[in-house]
Amino acid sequence: MNRITRMMMGIALLVCVSANALRAQDKCLSCHEATVGGQPVEMFKHDIHHAKGISCAGCHGGDSKTEEMDQAMNAKAGYIGVPKGDEISKACANCHANAAKMKSFGSNLPTNQFQNLQESVHGKLATNGKERIVQCTTCHNAHGIVAVRNASSPVFPLNIVKTCTKCHADAAFMRMYNPSLPVDQLDKYRTSVHGIRNAKGDAKVAQCASCHGSHDIRNAKDTKSKVYATNVPSTCAHCHSNAEYMKEYKIPTDQFDKFSKSVHGVALLTKHDLGAPACNSCHGNHAATPPGISSVSKVCGTCHALNADLFSASPHKKAFDDRKLPECETCHSNHEIIVATNKLLGVTSEAVCSRCHSEAQNAKGYAAAKAMRSLIDSLENNEKKASELVNEAEQKGMEISEAKYKLRDAHQARLESRTMVHAFNEGRFREVASKGLVVSATVSAEATDALDEYVFRRIGLGLATLAITILAISLYVYIRRIERRQAKGVQ
Amino acid sequence: MKTLWSKTYHWINERVELDGLVEFMGKKYVPVNSHSIWYYFGGVSLFLFIIQVVTGILLLLYYKGGEALAFESIQFIMSKVQFGWLIRSIHSWTANLFILTALIHMFSVYFGKAYRKPREITWVTGMLMFFLAMGFGFSGYLLPWNELAFFATKVGTDIAGAVPVVGKPMMVFLRGGEEVTGATLSRFFGFHVAVLPGLFTVLLGIHLLLVQRQGMSEPLSYEEESPKERKTMPFFPNFLLRDMLLWLIVLNLLAILAVFFPWELGKKADLFASAPAGIKPEWYFLFMFQTLKYIPGKVFVFDGEVLGIMTFGLGGLLWLLVPFWDRKSSRGERNRFINYIGLFIVLYIIILTIVGWIL
Repeated sequence: MNRITRMMMGIALLVCVSANALRAQDKCLSCHEATVGGQPVEMFKHDIHHAKGISCAGCHGGDSKTEEMDQAMNAKAGYIGVPKGDEISKACANCHANAAKMKSFGSNLPTNQFQNLQESVHGKLATNGKERIVQCTTCHNAHGIVAVRNASSPVFPLNIVKTCTKCHADAAFMRMYNPSLPVDQLDKYRTSVHGIRNAKGDAKVAQCASCHGSHDIRNAKDTKSKVYATNVPSTCAHCHSNAEYMKEYKIPTDQFDKFSKSVHGVALLTKHDLGAPACNSCHGNHAATPPGISSVSKVCGTCHALNADLFSASPHKKAFDDRKLPECETCHSNHEIIVATNKLLGVTSEAVCSRCHSEAQNAKGYAAAKAMRSLIDSLENNEKKASELVNEAEQKGMEISEAKYKLRDAHQARLESRTMVHAFNEGRFREVASKGLVVSATVSAEATDALDEYVFRRIGLGLATLAITILAISLYVYIRRIERRQAKGVQ
Repeated sequence: MKTLWSKTYHWINERVELDGLVEFMGKKYVPVNSHSIWYYFGGVSLFLFIIQVVTGILLLLYYKGGEALAFESIQFIMSKVQFGWLIRSIHSWTANLFILTALIHMFSVYFGKAYRKPREITWVTGMLMFFLAMGFGFSGYLLPWNELAFFATKVGTDIAGAVPVVGKPMMVFLRGGEEVTGATLSRFFGFHVAVLPGLFTVLLGIHLLLVQRQGMSEPLSYEEESPKERKTMPFFPNFLLRDMLLWLIVLNLLAILAVFFPWELGKKADLFASAPAGIKPEWYFLFMFQTLKYIPGKVFVFDGEVLGIMTFGLGGLLWLLVPFWDRKSSRGERNRFINYIGLFIVLYIIILTIVGWIL
């Protein structure tokens, strides 16, 4: 037994001895038990505070050492009766916000819960305007408070859902504070992987506090909220990226790393684009469950509607269904969706088409993929060339705004053609791509004309300058001749 | 060829007696002295004004007034109309050079005391034309309906609106309402192509008539010389040909500017957009704009901006009436005070314009 262990045991013994000594002195409990009895007394006997030697006077004030009721429940002795409203939380905070006091009871609980609660969405004023919406006792109960890890605690992971829904499933109550907030979270939760496991007694899976926090719960639109769009991935990753914690569930723990590098992750986490999806956009939030093979395209299609529709009507739909392949995910992956470039299309080794289509086995599909890749490459190259010509003409001071405007159409056609890929129909793809090729060619021609005009202007200026110079010299010579003649005339 | 020219001249002469005019011009002499160079700036200003009229009329063939079409029509002129870019760029560059040469012409007349009796009316008409030229610049600046023009007009008319008593009604009149809108553009277009040219032509007619009638003013030092020492040159053909030589050089300069620095069109005005940073008026308003920025919000009990505007107004009025209060020069006496005032104003304008341009 080393020194530290001996010291810890010593402190525990000291706390135990002093707690027993204090309990013995608690006249409130003995008196109330003998005279009034009832639930509070019975519950308090199992309360962690009672176990730590804290008497009723710890919260209610007064003198717990005397049996004389007048003295024990005297205001001069600090008796406050049953605390009401914010006084409840303040009474708790007397100790729970005081690190020294908490240490004296051998507690290592954080001492910022009261402050967090005040700053949280629950710390706002209630409709009566006199107190905050939630007090400590709302979730922890008043008498009979036990440690969070105690299975009988209302905030124990298996109970907390019920505790939160006391208010959050009460439509009439919630209407007073946030009418737009759904009250069916519990129902949804019970359909989720988390909810099902929680109901089966798995205290490790996510429950309300895992994602929303406990004392520091904030509105989801608050940037400090754990469920604010840009914070959701790290909130989920808190458990899902913890290989040790997730070991027993046998699922990968690299989703966050992959998502961070994905086009969605970069948009959300790096560019802070709130329109970009977070974990809950695809998996749901309260009803969080991975989308099944049949529903992947529907989930992606909530944002990528046109792509999903085109795919559903394409020949690939049946082929994928027959092979039980998830639709979007097969080509684009799931968490690590990279920016879809032209390279995905075609028959090169990098192209996803070539995974199924080979020249020998599926010549038609192979040819179509090859042709589409060729078209989209041409489209990109021509647009780039047109853009360069427009920029050059613009830098040379030419008025080229109309061509520049048309360049948007070329860009739009390229975007449309990329969408049209999902129809997997070469004819339709060619139709859209051709539109872009025509626009690019028109823009290039206009920009080239402008550049030719630029040269023409300089040549024209040179010739004009030459003509003006000759004229000016001639005029000067003529003036000199007149003046010489006039001078001779005078003489 | 000569016979044809003689016949044509004879035909006109028979009807309008051209001989008299030619004789008058032949007898007209221009003094030759060390300050003669300044005489040419009046002619150059006239030449630039003619270019403005010609290019302005050509632009009118394609320009469409109105909020929805003004910007697009200039865009069309710049990109689709044959030599439209040249006409528009020359019009814009000439507008600026015209103000510059008119400014030089004005100061040369001022320092040469050429406004003294009997040329008071010539000075006043010249000054009024200069004010109209600034009006041309201000109204023409808005016509492309681009972002810079829109906000510069907003600022400019705001300043006009700060004038006590008449400011607000004047601002509403200029804008065609409380704000700068399409109505302002229509008005400015009307001022630019009808009202101002009409007034300017009348004043120019009087100005040129007086210059021809009274001849070139001679500097006081020139008058002190004996008549034998005084050198002159015939107005026709010598001075006129020299004038034309300078006009050719100016024309070439304009072509170079138009080709190498085509006048930009910028972005179309958006009435709901916020003003871009660094909005500045045209360079010839810059010294006044910069001064107003330096004047504190309150000077004693007066509003700083109002005080500044009133000071410039009063200064302009005194400048306009200089022939009537500079009696010394009219008597043929040297007046150094006038030179000091002029020098101060020239330096003030140059320094404040540079400061305004840089900051």
